[in-house]
Amino acid sequence: MKQYKHLLKPYIIWAAVLIVIPLILIALYAFTEEGNEVLTLSFTFDNFRKFAEATYVNVILKSFRLGLVTTVICLAAGYPLAFIISRSPERVQGLLILLVTIPEWINMLLRTYAWMNLLSDNGIINQLLGLLGIDPVTMMYTDFSVILGLVCNFMPFMVIPIYTSLSKMDHSLIEAAYDLGANRFQTFWKVIWKLSMPGVVNGIMMVFLLSISTFVIPKLLGGGQYMLIGNLIESQFISVGDWNFGAAISLILAVIILIFMHFMKKMDSQDD
Amino acid sequence: MNNKKKTSFFSRFYVVLCLAFFYLPILVTMIFSFNSSKSLTHLSGFSLRWYQELINNVEVSKAVYVSLSVAILATVISTILGTITAIGLSRSRKVVRDLILNINEIPILNPEIVTAISLMLLFSSAGFRKGYVTMLLAHIAFCTPYVITSVYPKVRSLDPNLANAAMDLGATPFEALVKVIVPMIKEGIFAGALLAFTMSFDDFVISYFVSGNGVKNISIVVYNMTKRINPTINALSTVVILVITLVLVAMNVAPAIMKARGYKGNKKRERILLCILAALLCVGLVRCGSVARGSHVLKVYNAGEYIDLSLLEEFEQEYGCTVVYETFESNEMMYTKLASGESYDILIPSDYMIERLIKEDYVQALDWDLIPNRENLLPEVLDKSYDPGNRYSCPYFWGTVGILYDTTVVDEEDLSGGWELLRNEKYKGQLYMYDSERDSFMIALKALGYSMNTTDMDEIQNAYEWLIAQRDSMNPIYAGDDVIDNMISGNKAIAVVYSGDASYIISENPDLDYLTPAQGTNVWYDAMLITRDCNEVDLAHAFINFMISEESALANSEEVGYTSPVASAFEEMRDTTYEGVSSYVPQIENDKNEIFGYQEPKVKQHYAELWTKVKAQ
Amino acid sequence: MKNKLIELVDLTKNFDDQQVLRGINLDIYENEFLTLLGPSGCGKTTTLRIIAGFEEPSSGQVLFNGIEISKLPPYKREVNTVFQKYALFPHLNVAENIAFGLNLKKMDKSVIAQKVERMLKMVGLSGFENRDVTLLSGGQQQRVAIARALVNEPKVLLLDEPLGALDAKIRKAMQVELKKIQREVGITFIYVTHDQEEALSMSDTVVVMNNGEIQQIGTPTDIYNEPENRFVASFIGESNIIEGTMIKDFLVEFDGNRFECVDKGFPENEPIEVVLRPEDLDIVSPEEAKITGTVRNITFKGVHYEILIETENRTYTVHTTDYAEVGRKVGLKLGPEDIHVMWKMGTY
Repeated sequence: MKQYKHLLKPYIIWAAVLIVIPLILIALYAFTEEGNEVLTLSFTFDNFRKFAEATYVNVILKSFRLGLVTTVICLAAGYPLAFIISRSPERVQGLLILLVTIPEWINMLLRTYAWMNLLSDNGIINQLLGLLGIDPVTMMYTDFSVILGLVCNFMPFMVIPIYTSLSKMDHSLIEAAYDLGANRFQTFWKVIWKLSMPGVVNGIMMVFLLSISTFVIPKLLGGGQYMLIGNLIESQFISVGDWNFGAAISLILAVIILIFMHFMKKMDSQDD
Repeated sequence: MNNKKKTSFFSRFYVVLCLAFFYLPILVTMIFSFNSSKSLTHLSGFSLRWYQELINNVEVSKAVYVSLSVAILATVISTILGTITAIGLSRSRKVVRDLILNINEIPILNPEIVTAISLMLLFSSAGFRKGYVTMLLAHIAFCTPYVITSVYPKVRSLDPNLANAAMDLGATPFEALVKVIVPMIKEGIFAGALLAFTMSFDDFVISYFVSGNGVKNISIVVYNMTKRINPTINALSTVVILVITLVLVAMNVAPAIMKARGYKGNKKRERILLCILAALLCVGLVRCGSVARGSHVLKVYNAGEYIDLSLLEEFEQEYGCTVVYETFESNEMMYTKLASGESYDILIPSDYMIERLIKEDYVQALDWDLIPNRENLLPEVLDKSYDPGNRYSCPYFWGTVGILYDTTVVDEEDLSGGWELLRNEKYKGQLYMYDSERDSFMIALKALGYSMNTTDMDEIQNAYEWLIAQRDSMNPIYAGDDVIDNMISGNKAIAVVYSGDASYIISENPDLDYLTPAQGTNVWYDAMLITRDCNEVDLAHAFINFMISEESALANSEEVGYTSPVASAFEEMRDTTYEGVSSYVPQIENDKNEIFGYQEPKVKQHYAELWTKVKAQ
Repeated sequence: MKNKLIELVDLTKNFDDQQVLRGINLDIYENEFLTLLGPSGCGKTTTLRIIAGFEEPSSGQVLFNGIEISKLPPYKREVNTVFQKYALFPHLNVAENIAFGLNLKKMDKSVIAQKVERMLKMVGLSGFENRDVTLLSGGQQQRVAIARALVNEPKVLLLDEPLGALDAKIRKAMQVELKKIQREVGITFIYVTHDQEEALSMSDTVVVMNNGEIQQIGTPTDIYNEPENRFVASFIGESNIIEGTMIKDFLVEFDGNRFECVDKGFPENEPIEVVLRPEDLDIVSPEEAKITGTVRNITFKGVHYEILIETENRTYTVHTTDYAEVGRKVGLKLGPEDIHVMWKMGTY
């Protein structure tokens, strides 16, 4: 069965050119000073040292806190959804999964603008509340609006992998649990939940990664004071123009994510 | 359990609730696409106006085409590439496999912005012309890993003897692949393709950085519309939803009808359908490629929503050329693209950026003999510090930065404090600051009586403390261009804005007025430049001359709302459309006003760091 | 026999428009090894799943010790199941799998450990406690599945084609072992299979099912020797089935010959079917027999030869240790006890 080994070759070349080289370029920036020409490269750790300042550490912490909250909400709300979908009749399952996917085809920015119109001080929700005689509630530019936007955008990325692992689960395992005396609740915790772990881990990784590195949604729904690591990187590359520092933050973020991934994978394989 | 097939009321309710949450913003988008006014929060009547504009909007229809064709091509190519790679992986040695799988995870794990920047660096250092091809390559690059991760597990769970069995029965390796392996893993392939399409169709960040030369997808167009939210785009997404719904209904209903008629799946017909689809795609590609095939091409790079687009068509007709028009979100974004090797003929940035571009030799001197309309210009806008004698730049719009306030909320006597109004605790929580380090520091420096171009560390420190104190006492929102729509809707009472935006906002919401603080402010000029490596120098001069003709300038100012540098247009607008709108007439006679100057990188970084601290701590 | 443990009364089951069970009546006794035998789609697995509680009958009753339980969820029934593909929990090791049910009962840890150990010993897997179940062989997984079910000390163990996925040799060994285990624990086993040999060699009672109906209930010998209809006869073992007429008690006619037999109680001149087991037929010289024919084929089967003999009306299959070369004219001898008369399908 070695016939197909050469199928790997195109991607090796592709990955080298479009993944590895760009990454090396980024790393090159992270370890050098501004204005370096290729011939006069001088390496430095200044970009990383700068990051140790409280401001930037705070930005990272805030990003992680937000990512964590978003992930937990997506999991708590998305798991039941995936579970219900996987238990519905087969025809309906396909339709529901499509319905969950379709919003992702509508431009994310547009959906975010729509949330802005819904949540703003004189926005649609507050107008409706006004009709009921309720005082307007400030929702825009708060944790609430940012998390709402993130959850709305990223929940499908939690639902779909969980659904996948639930739907391919051998139904006789669930029957076996009932048969051995587990009630619905026990069957869920001791068997279904455990067996859907790969999907859960996948979903957590997707949502967490997306939500700690996004910058468009927090910027629009949280305002400029919602400084997250994605915004920080973006501003370094775009408005400040300090590509070296930007690259260094990117590298740090990448390393943190790799550690996180490693941890998650370990958890996954332990449970498996 | 057999109640698997019964869905309880609670389950159904929950599913509906979740779907409602996902579809609520989409529903809002759809409803407001039929609104007769521009507002996105108040329904004023039913109209198909935005659909009309959508049909007439060449930029949007081109963007739809680019988004769709890039998404389809990227999906097809990355699905094929990803699938054969996944199959290849399952047959490789463990070392190779682990290496490839790890590399494969990088684009998935990396924040989009990092991938975007790294690809941009790659394309510019390799000397690629940015456009459709680079966008497609980038999309394939970030889609393929997703395909591999969804196909590979399926391949791994296959019986390795399947292909052997096929070959034993006389299939070539290729036939075994297509007829045995692929059908066995088609679920994984389908899931991967779906993911790839979703990722590609909705992508903004990566597309933005790797495309150029007028190639834009929907996201880029939408992002550039942030400044003035344009319901045309709502109409577009409504159309997208309708198309998706139709396709889904067709997919679900067609098999049922065929079944009812005893029609069995016909591979031939499917193949013909695929061919037609491919042919359509090719035709579209050629058409799209041929858009920019006029004999002379002028590439213009301007801020978003900052021109009357019909002027471009007029210019094209008059000069028999093609204008490739691109927009940026900020001067810095423009600089980033320029520095990455992107080439343009005409740039329209702001004063301090002009100074920088001149200093860094990105632009060429203007030949004013080719711009006879120069005499139309107001004397006030010429010979400014950023370009003494206007050797390089021709003014486009100009204005000040000031405070927009709600006259029904803010007391008259509080206005005398000028910038200190922004620290008046009476208005706590009622305030939008502008999320820009230079403008914010300008305010603090001016309020403290310093020069806004100061490099004195103590002064900067004082300004920083001013901003910190303001942040703590006032809870301001550091907003971007969304301030415009927010102020029109009356969400808050006070905002720091550009005078041009103020004019537009006041014309939409007459409760507001504009204050130019007595402590002095930033007077700014946006001007047209010709790049050093411009290929169409004569045409570029003609364009500048065209833009400052009396008719064009009037049309442009009318559309955008910013103050025209052309005397006749300025006066006409001042006396008609913006009569009584104080912001349209910049108050520049104050000695304390300044123009932003070029900042040394170290100073700039210092400001940036402080601004990050103001926002993030 | 002893006490009735389970009674199935007029059980029917429909899936969508399809009727899978058409009125099943069956008594199952304590300590019995009962096998539901039939081709796939005959309803045997559905019957088992109804007893286990995974399906609810469309109509009819399931009585357990006289109490109706058809609405009771599976986790409240005193039965346990060994699943077709074992359904071992991949996230738990061998001991954890076996202890699953005991843990749910919040039993004392040391008691659980003891019971698990005893079970492992019984199924011959001592020392496998911490193994990953996904890495065990098919036979080992099978044993774990049995241990996991039995450790809960159910009144009834349900086995759904448990040996189907094993290879022939292990299957044989497991058959013996299952029977041994059943005797050891002394509880009722309800066993589902489509393998007649398995059914005959292990069971106390065999229930032959087809098309959602019970065809015959009886001991293995009864089922084999006295099939009640053509379906049972052809499904169990090989047979020559011939249409004929019951002239009167102890006299049957087929292919133009009359034979003495041991069957009685049919109406006179009733059309019936006759079963002749291949091993009951003897090859003799043509003169000695009423039926004569020519040897068409002979195949060596190890213990015996399978000989096809073509006669005027049909071809008979004969199993014998005697050799007969192809082409030879022979006679077929049958005694009264070799003839089994059955009702024609659909008339009883």
